[in-house]
Amino acid sequence: MTEESSARPSYRRFWPLIIVGIVILLAGAVVIRQRDASGAPEQPIDFKHSIHAQAEVPCLFCHASPMRSDVAGIPSVQRCAGCHQTIKTESPEVQRVLGYWERAEPIPWQAVNDMPDFVFFSHQPHLGAGINCETCHGEVAQMDAARPVANMDMGWCLSCHLQQPEEKVARLTDCLACHK
Amino acid sequence: MAKGLTRRGFLKIAAGAGAATGLSPTVRRVALEPFVRPPEEELPGRATWFASTCRQCPAGCGIIVRVINGRPRKIEGNPAHPLNRGKLCARGQAGLQAVYNPDRLKNAVRQSGGRGSRVFQPIQWEEALVELTTAIQGLQDPRRLALLAGMPPDHLHAIWTRFLQALGAPPPLIFDLHTAMEGRAESAALAERWFGEVNLPIYDLANADVIFSFGANFLETWMSPVAQSVDYGQMRQGRLGGRGFLVQFESRLSATAASADEWIPVEPGTEGLVALALGRLIVEENLGRVGRHREHAHLYRNINVSDAVEASGIPAEEMMRLARIFADAERQVAIPGGHLAGHTNGPQAMDAVMALNVVMRRLGREGGLFLPQPVPAKRFAKPVLPSRFAQVERLIERMQAGEVEVLLIHGTNPVYELPAWVGFQEALAQVPLVISFSPFVDETAVQADLVLPDHTYLEGWGYQLVTPGADRPVISGQQPVMEPLYDTRATGDVFLALAARLGGDAAQALPWPDEVSFLEESSAQLHDNSVSAYDARTPAGFWSRWRQFGGWWSKRAIRREPEVVRSSRTAIHVPLPLYRGAVEQYPFHLVPYPSITLSDGRGANQPWLQETPDPMTTARWNTWIELNPETARDLGVDDNDLVKVISPFGKLQAAVVVYPGIRPDTVAIPTGQGHQDYGRFAAGRGAKVIDLLGPAAAGEAGRFAFGATRVRIEKVGAVRPLARLEDLDGEGRENIR
Repeated sequence: MTEESSARPSYRRFWPLIIVGIVILLAGAVVIRQRDASGAPEQPIDFKHSIHAQAEVPCLFCHASPMRSDVAGIPSVQRCAGCHQTIKTESPEVQRVLGYWERAEPIPWQAVNDMPDFVFFSHQPHLGAGINCETCHGEVAQMDAARPVANMDMGWCLSCHLQQPEEKVARLTDCLACHK
Repeated sequence: MAKGLTRRGFLKIAAGAGAATGLSPTVRRVALEPFVRPPEEELPGRATWFASTCRQCPAGCGIIVRVINGRPRKIEGNPAHPLNRGKLCARGQAGLQAVYNPDRLKNAVRQSGGRGSRVFQPIQWEEALVELTTAIQGLQDPRRLALLAGMPPDHLHAIWTRFLQALGAPPPLIFDLHTAMEGRAESAALAERWFGEVNLPIYDLANADVIFSFGANFLETWMSPVAQSVDYGQMRQGRLGGRGFLVQFESRLSATAASADEWIPVEPGTEGLVALALGRLIVEENLGRVGRHREHAHLYRNINVSDAVEASGIPAEEMMRLARIFADAERQVAIPGGHLAGHTNGPQAMDAVMALNVVMRRLGREGGLFLPQPVPAKRFAKPVLPSRFAQVERLIERMQAGEVEVLLIHGTNPVYELPAWVGFQEALAQVPLVISFSPFVDETAVQADLVLPDHTYLEGWGYQLVTPGADRPVISGQQPVMEPLYDTRATGDVFLALAARLGGDAAQALPWPDEVSFLEESSAQLHDNSVSAYDARTPAGFWSRWRQFGGWWSKRAIRREPEVVRSSRTAIHVPLPLYRGAVEQYPFHLVPYPSITLSDGRGANQPWLQETPDPMTTARWNTWIELNPETARDLGVDDNDLVKVISPFGKLQAAVVVYPGIRPDTVAIPTGQGHQDYGRFAAGRGAKVIDLLGPAAAGEAGRFAFGATRVRIEKVGAVRPLARLEDLDGEGRENIR
């Protein structure tokens, strides 16, 4: 430390850093505002999972591919329109969905859970192992807009992989199981 | 601890950084756009692979494209394709950036502010078609319609040829800088002189044991670099008992020369003299194992080896050693490359190289020279080849004289690619209606009235006869791997629609409703063919197989032995090369060479290609000037110093790369940069070397002598650091940056 700084700590040189920090915090605040209090991202349609679950529509009716593919799949606009051309057509939100269908535009849904690109996650083996949707995605049937219930980081993955039968643990905790 | 940082300050910063880090995952927002109407076979998250053809250069490599949710994600080589055998180059990989390029035209446009204004207004395709139809109907004489294209896919060439023939207009004129610099037209003319056939010879590199390459950078851009690289690998791996030997004759150490066993830095333009001297020595000393050379003695009448020794700077003993290496081999081949085409003695130099193959009886032999076997169907019989430069000059003269009323331009960017002395842009001003089919606003589109963007190649249909061929006849099939992103239209379809509107002969010549039906009908010509790699019971099934395989090819290798039609009594005479610019004023040879990534400039709008370092200098994102360390010392310049390169016809300014792999009397500059337009990644970057070039020397009109200009160099006194991965520390060691 120099004489000057030990005598009187000067913060002047940190001003740029402090300003940058404030900007980042503000930007963060703006981003956070786009999720509601529960952490659900703002969606283009006020879609309610709960209503569909009460009508006993199974998850796999709309998210059709987790048994066969890496991803569960966001339903096509055609799938929405398939029912809603006849069901509850008077609802303004349903009319907005039909608007997308008539304009042949995709609905820009926002991802609720997003795996980073360096993780090779596949739904298929998880469903094959008999895990149900709620284990990772929570009680979506009780939610309106879907929100993340787990942080889905590596510790969270491992917390479950480590509890598997002994003969599987070595394979399931291998780095290359997910980081290929 | 760092100077002046207190504990409290440190904690504050750490807290701020922590908050910022904590926020970052939330910042990532991902929109998941589902299909509106999913294709039946589509499974979200699972890739579909489509076989198609790369169009980043004219080689015609087969590709397979990984498509997820209707969007192409990755391009690979097609493992079943006989040309590239599963391999693909960096340019091929970067093709995704043509599709997703942010500077693509999203619809047909009119330049409403007049040519050069860069004010474009969207127009309906219907309006464009009506305007084009009216313009063609209003021509006084159909010969006042002209079509200028860069090497097109063969189906498009077939449609154009029928269209123009029916109207009585001249056939399409093919010119682009890439094929000009690889000497494609000259190579075809060479085959015509020697073998009586306008075609591109196939050099069997894989099975050769000694290759003498005269200015052919066959591992970079020349002809079919991916296929040649695979063959080169086989030649090196000694499949035939022993590692092959490569000698490269050229003034600058290209990546191909760097892969060679010997690099012989000859003076630019004297490659042909060297080839001639080698042949003379072989015949005179009766070298090699092919018996006596008496029948070829006439080829080398009046040749003096000492002339070549003097011109090229290769000592006589060295010449003799090289002649022995070539002659004593069992399966030797000599390749006349693109650099030869850039000199005033180009055709004769290529003759001299070809004569080496003839003297050593390499025609139709393993590791020698072949002609492609034609595809056994009428529609695929003739390959598309570039026009001769004289024809381009003739078109410009006609434009200048007001003899062209409608000019259609596709797949080439002549305003950028032709040197300023040719006067293309001035001639263009004399043409009342100029229409570009470019998907991007390039320099030529800026001088056009209408731009009717074609699809990019991953969205379009087509086929391409692989030329120069593989070891068998091959047609590469092109099919869309995705729905077109924007309101663009296949140029083939535009011409079919135009023909239908014009009626008469044009409509009769092109009766197909769209190009896909033309392609399907073409493919049917090969249905039930006995050499086909696959077959199907019905033509429809065959067409489906065609798309699955990514084209058509023969199931076994078929190559043809060329028969020499050139009289063996006609001597070869290679004149000394002529240069523009007097030695006293312009002491250096200028070697413009095609950039391995940007090629003639067409790759400059793809940032992956801009970012890919040049293999020899590791420079990127700019233009640089390669100087020998000795030359740099004499001029008092070092790496990154700006210099001016001045020719009698133009000048440019760029930073120096001190490069030991070049003759001290030569400077080399890559092509591809110096765009004024062509999108955000290309425009305003680097300098354009082509504008330094002048017309070929007097009496050599009709030649594009891109290697025959001399320049001088002036120090600017400023520094502009180049983006480079590595440089040399002055003692030959590499510094990684």
